[in-house]
Amino acid sequence: MADAAEPVRTHLALLLRVKVRSLRNRVYQAVDEAPLRLFATVALVAVIWFGLFKLFDSVFLQLSRTPLEATVAIPLVFNVFFAAMLVLLALSNAIISYGALFGREESAYLLSAPLTPLDVVTLKYLESLIMASWSLVLLGVPWMLAMARLTDDSLFYVLFLAFFLGFLPIPAAAGLLLGWAAARWFPRTALRGVWLTVGALAAVCLFLGARAFQFSDEGASNWLRSFYARMSFVEFAFLPNQWVAAGIANAQQHRYFESGLYLGVTVANALFFSWLAVTVVARCFDRALDHATAGRSAGRRTASPPSQGISGRVFFYLPLPLRLIAAKDLRTFVRDPLQWSQLVILFSLLGLYLANVPALKVQFGSLGWSTLIPFLNLAAIGFLLATFTCRFVFPLVSLEGRQLWLVGVLPLARGDLLYAKFAFAMTVTLTVALASMGLAIFILELSASWAMIHLAVTVAICIGLCGFALGIGARLPMFGEPNAARIANGFGGTTNLLASVGLVAAVLTAIGAATWRTRYLPDAVPDPISLWLCLTAVLVSAAAGLAALRAGARHFNQIEV
Amino acid sequence: MDLQRHRREPLVTDVAADGAITLAGVRKSYGRKVAVESLTLAVPRGELFAFLGPNGAGKTTTIKLIVGLLQPDQGQVRVCGHPIGSNGLAAKARLAYVPDQPFLYDKLTGREFLFFVAEMYGLPRERRDRILDTLIRRLDIAEFLDRLTESYSHGMKQKVVLAAALLHEPAVLVIDEPMVGLDPRSIRTVKSLFVEHCRGGGTVFMSTHTLDIAEAVADRIGIINHGRLIAFGTLGELRRQAEREHSLEEIFLQLTEEADG
Repeated sequence: MADAAEPVRTHLALLLRVKVRSLRNRVYQAVDEAPLRLFATVALVAVIWFGLFKLFDSVFLQLSRTPLEATVAIPLVFNVFFAAMLVLLALSNAIISYGALFGREESAYLLSAPLTPLDVVTLKYLESLIMASWSLVLLGVPWMLAMARLTDDSLFYVLFLAFFLGFLPIPAAAGLLLGWAAARWFPRTALRGVWLTVGALAAVCLFLGARAFQFSDEGASNWLRSFYARMSFVEFAFLPNQWVAAGIANAQQHRYFESGLYLGVTVANALFFSWLAVTVVARCFDRALDHATAGRSAGRRTASPPSQGISGRVFFYLPLPLRLIAAKDLRTFVRDPLQWSQLVILFSLLGLYLANVPALKVQFGSLGWSTLIPFLNLAAIGFLLATFTCRFVFPLVSLEGRQLWLVGVLPLARGDLLYAKFAFAMTVTLTVALASMGLAIFILELSASWAMIHLAVTVAICIGLCGFALGIGARLPMFGEPNAARIANGFGGTTNLLASVGLVAAVLTAIGAATWRTRYLPDAVPDPISLWLCLTAVLVSAAAGLAALRAGARHFNQIEV
Repeated sequence: MDLQRHRREPLVTDVAADGAITLAGVRKSYGRKVAVESLTLAVPRGELFAFLGPNGAGKTTTIKLIVGLLQPDQGQVRVCGHPIGSNGLAAKARLAYVPDQPFLYDKLTGREFLFFVAEMYGLPRERRDRILDTLIRRLDIAEFLDRLTESYSHGMKQKVVLAAALLHEPAVLVIDEPMVGLDPRSIRTVKSLFVEHCRGGGTVFMSTHTLDIAEAVADRIGIINHGRLIAFGTLGELRRQAEREHSLEEIFLQLTEEADG
């Protein structure tokens, strides 16, 4: 690295070299110490990637066969997709930028060195851009390939990739500004911050939900047209998603000059907004750092005594030591803005989905889908729960890493700690899952027998997913990592993701078969074979989760602290 | 000395214009909590200054103000005559900071980290190698320097961070709890490195709870409590302030207890 130790002209180049060196060392370490694990990670990513490719390929093939979707839907899908990505990536970048600039020891170290804030902010901007966007690129490449296969044009693939990469800095710049603004003006107390964020996101979701998902008694085709019309606000000419969507649409129709113009607009704006965001944040960095530091140092109580009592009483059914641990986990979670801000985003998506459920019933009730819609609802909730447990439950064990010595000397079996975390995870997951499922059952007017089945399956899925997350979390922990998002993205997290998706898919296959068998029966009452299928799915899911939890607890008992 | 007076009127030291570290009328609050109040303090070149105080007294806030990680609400902070702040590059180039939790990049080796620091401060290669050889030998870090820092114990990390801080021969070394995690031999080495640094014209601003070390090596001592400087001077002057011939520990306890009222 520093073999030619000339005085550096730009510190940014030096900082980037250090990051590249760190990455290189990380890869060498993985190859030397855990080649099998590295291979497994690459193989898992390849499986996900190939699965996505097949999914996109079949979706686009299907869409291209129907005139309405081919002419109207595909360009709008692009537009809506990039509009959604604009918002989600901006939020994701905001969370990462905030943590990187105001929450890490590295920033403090670099700012005490002879580096300008511009160097530090630029470095963190680039880090955030890569960290927040790599998964979108992973998702995007199979999408591009599927589209390119449909258009049978290799230049289209190149342009698509260029649009993708040109677009990413725009939400990253917005995210950097958001993260800085949060540090500069966000309330210093965690609780007030939670409520402010929840309120703001709820308001946005309500507005978007009300606008996009107003339902009426019109037919499916008309509803689709009117839905497209309502979503047309994303086609505003000054929005980046519109430039990207229009550019891709032009490329698809072989109008390369027009596509190139849109690409130029996208890249020019990406560069301009990146420069603007980095410059503004660097110039106004002092006050934001002060405010963020003050929030941590003010020494105020973040929760009043009654709310502390509530967090203890939530787990009334546990013995005292486990109750204390579960209450500690709850408080720790609520006081970590990086955790709950992502949770709020996930719950907002769930809220948006639930707001859409009445429309599903009205629009598809007359199409012979009445038995399938509740099943699709179960599938949606199942996969949302899998996302939730992979991101928030799986890291719970690894996050104990720094205080594992304390856990090791507590007067309780270490495996019991895992059961306390299971109780905590189940309480939160089951509350959300049953509330969502109950609401959906009420709206979809499900028969009593199917309502019972869906509720039982939801409980079983919760047991299975929480058991997997904690069992695998204890078996493949990442004790040195304090960042929950990174823990969830590691090898253990990826394994858990695949196991969880596999579990939900297996349960849904059984319930799907039962649903399919009963679709023409009077009142769709399940026959004995369907009931056996459902019962098996419930028992297998719950047993698999508990077995994984037990195996994890056994392993956790043997870990040397 | 009338300690009651100091609770209302903070102790003011002479602020020399050419001091290595000068804080003039500095105030810093976190919301309603005042962390540092009317702090005026000057540490001249060549001095080893020990900054003492109970937990939460304002020591770390003062240090963060000195190294530019926090901005004062009122007053001025200068290092070697240059104003500090996130943009105060002239001051930062003359400064080294070792926080209480030493920071190292996990996936770099100790040597890679030290090369990185040398390059950041623009050290020519020959000078870097010469200083590094001395520091490696004196701090006894050769054995683990080529391992990834994630495998280091706290003491190993502390030694590498100290080496990184001394590598560019800073005019001012600001250090928070320097001896935590070090073995007795290393503590002795670090003490002599600090003393030599000051004899060579450098300044050390050291915050510590280890009163024996402060008593042994510090030229002057400042005691802060509830954000106010309640005592300042050589050990002899502090004894006179406390009106007793006691150890620094007893003086510290007496002054902080009396200031608490």
